[in-house]
Amino acid sequence: MADILSIEALRAGHGEAVVIPGLSLALAEGEALAVLGRNGVGKTTLLDSIIGVTRRFGGRLALAGRDITRLPPEARAQAGIGWVPQERNIFRSLTVEENLTATARSGPWTLARIYEMFPRLRERRANMGNQLSGGEQQMLAVGRALMLNPRILLLDEPTEGLAPIIVNELLASIRRIIRDEGMATIIVEQHARKILQVTDRAVILDRGEIVHQAASAALLADPAPLESHLGVIAKGAAA
Amino acid sequence: MTTILIDGIAYGMLLFVMASGLAVTLGLMNFVNLAHGAFAMIGGYVTALAMNRLGMPFLLTLPLAFLVPALIGAVAERMLYARLYRRSHLDQVLFSIALVFMAMTAADWLLGSSQMLVTLPGWLQGRFEIAGIGIGRYRAFLIVLCAVLVVALQLVLARTRFGARLRAAVDDQRAARGLGIDVGGIFAATFAMGSGLAGLSGALGIELMGLDPTFPLKIMVYVLIVVTIGGTASLTGPFLAALIIGTADVAGKYYIPELGAFLIYLLMIVLLILRPQGLIAPAR
Ligand SMILES: Nc1ncnc2c1ncn2[C@@H]1O[C@H](COP(=O)(O)OP(=O)(O)OP(=O)(O)O)[C@@H](O)[C@H]1O
Ligand SMILES: [Mg+2]
Repeated sequence: MADILSIEALRAGHGEAVVIPGLSLALAEGEALAVLGRNGVGKTTLLDSIIGVTRRFGGRLALAGRDITRLPPEARAQAGIGWVPQERNIFRSLTVEENLTATARSGPWTLARIYEMFPRLRERRANMGNQLSGGEQQMLAVGRALMLNPRILLLDEPTEGLAPIIVNELLASIRRIIRDEGMATIIVEQHARKILQVTDRAVILDRGEIVHQAASAALLADPAPLESHLGVIAKGAAA
Repeated sequence: MTTILIDGIAYGMLLFVMASGLAVTLGLMNFVNLAHGAFAMIGGYVTALAMNRLGMPFLLTLPLAFLVPALIGAVAERMLYARLYRRSHLDQVLFSIALVFMAMTAADWLLGSSQMLVTLPGWLQGRFEIAGIGIGRYRAFLIVLCAVLVVALQLVLARTRFGARLRAAVDDQRAARGLGIDVGGIFAATFAMGSGLAGLSGALGIELMGLDPTFPLKIMVYVLIVVTIGGTASLTGPFLAALIIGTADVAGKYYIPELGAFLIYLLMIVLLILRPQGLIAPAR
């Protein structure tokens, strides 16, 4: 079976700056990959390059065997990439419900199912995008990406800056999306321990390059690579 | 007195339809398009020529007065305007003012510098009376038609998926594209819609404002005043501003004709001093 996503020798960055000098990566259908790494190593640049909002200097990308290297971001999204940006980027002059429906594409993920997964969004459906708490914004960003009915989901630090109770709630939803729905997912996360329990495989980035990759279970069993590459005992170790 | 008020409201609503496209491109897309009046002129000429040369009835020419400028607007947006979105406002002003003069010269060369006259159908001529107040039939027609357009425009922006996608594109272009919105296409469609509305108002305005090659310049002043005073945070501001300007202009020209348009500029200066952020301040 063809990989759902394959990245070959990707070279990308911002303006004149090359952040990712040359990265190759493949994701199988239904696979969940954790992307770990210290601040500023290029995790966001990697995800943003997959959706296509960075500057590409070279390399190729394919989605389910189809070359998307030259497609603009809107065409990549329509081809089946659901992007949850690190800054969330909720549309502030749209209501919660409009945020979900404005970019929706038909498929198994419907408004009813998003509201069932995040009941809080249903309560807030008529609120404007700029009247939400951080947790609600993140739920909305995830719901909005799911409403595109993507073939692969890109999550950029979905739990960043959220209260612990909300973090657990959100991670439970993400586990559901990955495990129960079999959604192929690439997820950047600071809580390494927690996310390794949800993902199949992990890569550790440093200066835009993959410096280590392993099965999530192996990293959980022997966290030495986490310690050496992330510098600290991975956050969330206590949980 | 009441008659003047009604004339003023009719004129104001026409000004709003004329300025609405500019309010949208300036307020939502942050683009200064001084050539907006050129699209109004094109609409006016479409109606005048279709009536006078082809013998089409007035009402039938109105859809054309919308469609032709809308189409030209879409082409101009893709070929010319799209290149200037990221440029400074000064660049946009210089660029679009050049378009104004080119459009004026072209109109003069093709159609001559004289006023275009159209004869309205009989049922739109003359007046009728309600409770002793004389109301021009055409004025009443303008008020009703423009009211329908205002409501339709508001509904399209606030209630449709197109409106939501446009607002999303304006809020955050990068995120909108990353979520599958064809921002370029949406902007072109919006620009075309604004140009079409300008064209339609140009056609409707022949009776009130006349039509000759200087029309874009003449109307530019009015739509700019409407947008400046009204602000671009919402359409409510420009709508109120258009009603105020329309009524003041009609009343001023009736009671103190020596002053001409002086009153309008005075009003603009006073309102801008009182409410520098526009009638309705942006909610930020
Ligand atoms: N828009 C931009 N323009 C220029 N440089 C940028 C831009 N965005 C990021 N960078 C730079 O690219 C490098 C990688 O940043 P990136 O955001 O990809 O890292 P990250 O791993 O996601 O970090 P974090 O954990 O803080 O989110 C950094 O040096 C950053 O300063
Ligand atoms: Mg990041």
